Amino acid sequence: MSPSSSRPAVVVTGFGAVNAVGCGREPTAAALASGTPAWSEVERPAGYHRRGGGARLAGLAAGHDLSAWVSAGAARRMSLGSKLAVAAARMALADAGIVAGAEVGGKPTAMVFSNAFGPSMITEKILTQIESEGPLAVSPALFTESVANAPAAQVAIVCRALGANVTVTQREAGALIALARAAGEVARGRAGYALVVAVDEVTPLLHAVFDRFGALSRPDAGGEEARPFDRRRNGFILGEGATALVVETAESAAQRGDRVLARFLGTASAFDPEAPATGWGSDPAALTPALERLLARAGDVDAVVCGASGSVAGDRLEAHVLKAVWDGRPPRGGSEGEARRLPPLLAPKAVLGEFGGAQLAAAVLALAGEPCGPTPGFSEVDPELGVTPWAGGEPAPSALLISSLATGGAAAWAVLARAAGTLTPSPSPRGRGE
Amino acid sequence: MKDGPAPGHRVVVTGIGAVSGWGWGADELWRGLAGGAAAIGVPARFDTRRHRTRLAAEVPPSPNGLAASVPGWRRLSRADRFAVAAAMEACRQAGLEGDDARGFDLGVFFGGSTAGMAECERFFHGLTERRRARISLLVSHPLNAPGDAVARLVGARGPVQSLSSACASGALAIGAALDALRDGDVAMAVAGGADSLCHLTFAGFNSLRIVDAEHCRPFRRQRQGLNLGEGAGVLVLETLEHARRRGARPLAELLGAGASCDAHHMTAPHPQGAGAALALRSALGDAGVAAGDVGFVNAHGTGTPQNDAAEWRAIEQVFGERARRIPVTATKGAVGHLLGSSGAIEAVATVQCLAAGAAHAAPGDGGADEDLGVDLVVGGARPLAPDCVAVSTSFGFGGANAVLVLRGWPR
Repeated sequence: MSPSSSRPAVVVTGFGAVNAVGCGREPTAAALASGTPAWSEVERPAGYHRRGGGARLAGLAAGHDLSAWVSAGAARRMSLGSKLAVAAARMALADAGIVAGAEVGGKPTAMVFSNAFGPSMITEKILTQIESEGPLAVSPALFTESVANAPAAQVAIVCRALGANVTVTQREAGALIALARAAGEVARGRAGYALVVAVDEVTPLLHAVFDRFGALSRPDAGGEEARPFDRRRNGFILGEGATALVVETAESAAQRGDRVLARFLGTASAFDPEAPATGWGSDPAALTPALERLLARAGDVDAVVCGASGSVAGDRLEAHVLKAVWDGRPPRGGSEGEARRLPPLLAPKAVLGEFGGAQLAAAVLALAGEPCGPTPGFSEVDPELGVTPWAGGEPAPSALLISSLATGGAAAWAVLARAAGTLTPSPSPRGRGE
Repeated sequence: MKDGPAPGHRVVVTGIGAVSGWGWGADELWRGLAGGAAAIGVPARFDTRRHRTRLAAEVPPSPNGLAASVPGWRRLSRADRFAVAAAMEACRQAGLEGDDARGFDLGVFFGGSTAGMAECERFFHGLTERRRARISLLVSHPLNAPGDAVARLVGARGPVQSLSSACASGALAIGAALDALRDGDVAMAVAGGADSLCHLTFAGFNSLRIVDAEHCRPFRRQRQGLNLGEGAGVLVLETLEHARRRGARPLAELLGAGASCDAHHMTAPHPQGAGAALALRSALGDAGVAAGDVGFVNAHGTGTPQNDAAEWRAIEQVFGERARRIPVTATKGAVGHLLGSSGAIEAVATVQCLAAGAAHAAPGDGGADEDLGVDLVVGGARPLAPDCVAVSTSFGFGGANAVLVLRGWPR
């Protein structure tokens, strides 16, 4: 959504998350502050993975106790994605001081979700039923939960959300497109508030397929670790989870007396038609005009929450896009001889994995005053990229760009800023676990 | 009701494309719709023998020469192929062929619910049967694949959005394009949806016992459920100023869009049609038209007893006593339920009705269910005024609702 001067300001007032490191703000913030991921071994007995070598790790969230947010009865009817989404949504609502089911400002509530691959586990179960017992054996309860918008529907029922219910499926760019749509829903006055939820699950088959496509970091190719922007990066690590944000107008937040976690300043998206379906393009010029227009509208930022995940091609393209936009250009209001410097680069997927809303979580928490820790896995600058991700100890950002370049060619960006009056956060710790 | 339409640019439709059980092309679709018959039968390619029901609206083999004209055709899923064929046709009609169409002002907004699931099923079959499967079958499995394929084909450099909100996906995508055009984020958009038949959806809908073993009969008393279909529908949308500058002829105006959620049940509609009525009112408000201005409804009309009844209640709530005098048709009776792309192909059909000045008939015998009171178009086309305002409704699983408001563009 392009910001319009006639449209009201939009803010984030609630945060919730369930991911590999735990449930809620505290474990996510602690993991990001210390730069400590929580990878687990993915089940491989089904034999989907390649034999010998091959990726083993993912950030899994299936083992958490969600009973505080999802009743046992409801959980039985839900896919993992739906359960994660309901839990994260309830956390975000509580954080924003909104009672589930209540409307804000007398307007309906909108739900805008992102989901890269749908409820994969349910899909696999149905396909297994068809293969082993025939199509007549397919369970209606499973089929109901197999649609990509099942998590959004389940959360809508919990929240009695009667506004637009939209699920964006634009892979890595989906979460930012969802944030933009949600901001549009509240700014246009269509919704009193909107829940943005990025939710993704990891199944053994999905993991194996990514591995076969060569997308994941592997132990037999230099060590299995997410190494954003590092010279030795050899793929990403999948992350499961849900990140939920409550988005509303600044006026609405003020009327409710709620504190603001972040201000939404604008968004943009673009596409590189030369990009292959299974990878990224190589020409930054396909994407830079949209990003430059966004920064011209939204103003300068002092950090970038990158989508860099350890992907060889994805990280390369992102670094080149960012450098093309920043390097050698004078800062706004600066003199001609002054060079604009690339701001510090956060790479939270090194901690939370690819998908599940890692970037939304890192961005909002950073602006809400949580410290940003070092980027695990990074130790060696890639001379082709020439960028170094966040080491810990950099000044806390007051405005940041979220950058997300998706497999297949889509890209999305958003600019968020610290709320007026937010205390400057303390510098982040320097080393892992310090 | 709002006093006027949502602020921003006026948006017109300058090209349409379709792939359906009637064939590869919008003309084929319109000939089928105007003929009043259904493209529903026992599929030749898609094997339904092991399923509870047999009928579907299957897309016939692609015309000669199409595969050769699309780069990378072999690697595309069936849904991708429907998408790119419909997009090519729509762009051709809009005069957007060639490099002049490519650019940062062109966005793609696409909805769907299966994408490459049919190919994924072949992969899974290989995996379970032989422990071996061709990984390339999964290239187009993700739900963004059809939209991305279209964006690559048309050379879009603006926003590309893929949406999957069950049967509302296609209409939601067109609504998203409308927002982007009004805001000036893009000057042109290719918007629509595509889906293909697959065993997962065929078995799934049958497991819910909402598939009619015979031809579906939307709004008829004997209705027993839906028939699945496959295909694509695509609109080229642009701002009126942009169309005038290019000398492009509008086919219709996209006046508004509305969305809502039932927040009631995962599969059953709200029995009183409350969510559907909210989406209708929201769309009319967005369009800046009064309920009394609407002259035609292309209904979601799946043919399931519950859905049609709930939809009629929503229409009654919004249009009041006039509801019984508004011509209503149901494109699904002719081409089946295209799931995530149903809203897109029904938007195409609505534009065709407006352009032809005639609402197509809902195939089948007999009038509407008298309990519903719907003025179903049967037995032949019904004339529409040149500047008729039409609504096209889409209501999906999970209670996702989307409504489009279109107006005929007088010649």
